[in-house]
Amino acid sequence: MSQNDEDKLTAMLRSRRTEAARPDLAARIILRAQGMPQVQNYSLWQSLRQLFAELHLPKPGYVLTTALVLGMFLGFSTAPQTAASTDSDSNYAESFLADAEGLL
Amino acid sequence: MPAAWPDKDDSELLALVQDGSHPAFAALVERHTDRFYRLAFRYLQNRQAAEDVVQDAFLKLWEDPAKWQPDKNSRFTTWFYRVVVNLCLDWQKRKRPMELSEGMTLIDDRESADQMMLRREQQRILEQEIAALPERQRTALNLCFDEGISNQEAAEVMGINLKALQSLLMRAKTTLKERLKSYL
Repeated sequence: MSQNDEDKLTAMLRSRRTEAARPDLAARIILRAQGMPQVQNYSLWQSLRQLFAELHLPKPGYVLTTALVLGMFLGFSTAPQTAASTDSDSNYAESFLADAEGLL
Repeated sequence: MPAAWPDKDDSELLALVQDGSHPAFAALVERHTDRFYRLAFRYLQNRQAAEDVVQDAFLKLWEDPAKWQPDKNSRFTTWFYRVVVNLCLDWQKRKRPMELSEGMTLIDDRESADQMMLRREQQRILEQEIAALPERQRTALNLCFDEGISNQEAAEVMGINLKALQSLLMRAKTTLKERLKSYL
């Protein structure tokens, strides 16, 4: 292929014409967008805030919920200790009974 | 409608669009509609289709402006060129090739009727041959011969390096030279 062909082709490609868009294209796009809602992409934190904003609980409600959650948490965390002390109590009772039987 | 906010760059406008600002969106549309329309027209060779594609692209941006992330995507225009190209390719897959628009003007006042006919025919054949090129070669050609876009930016739009782009361009031109022999 000659350089001449290359130049001619480049000239042809550069002279490709476009039919102009209608002058109100931008205005039409803007107008259409005005009637369209945007997609809301909330993060986890924003979703929580949104949830609380929508719930609108009175303050005592939050206090009560917090107290309940705290109570459950404490209850669960102290349960094994209670169980352990119950075990030691029953061991003590068994050894006491065994001693008593021995006396009898 | 507000003026095109020349003091704000695209990323600043997009930050406002993400907060739901209609005037910022309007400024962005007014600033870029012509260039993206031109690219869409080069693909689709039909005014109505090109307008629909550009409108679709901008409305998608309005609906979910968070799709453009300044840290992930380079320039807004580079990213948006890609959006428009993809929409054009989708459109072409759905609908088969179209005739050149009737209103397409190729007239130069200094040309005689014969010259004008010849140029019109050349233009028609050129568009036909470009449309027959493989997708990536066609994209490379459409991006690089669109004024205002550098080869580097075109490579970024296509997600390839500069050498690969130049190779695509060379293959496209070789094919076109072969097929347009009688017009060169």
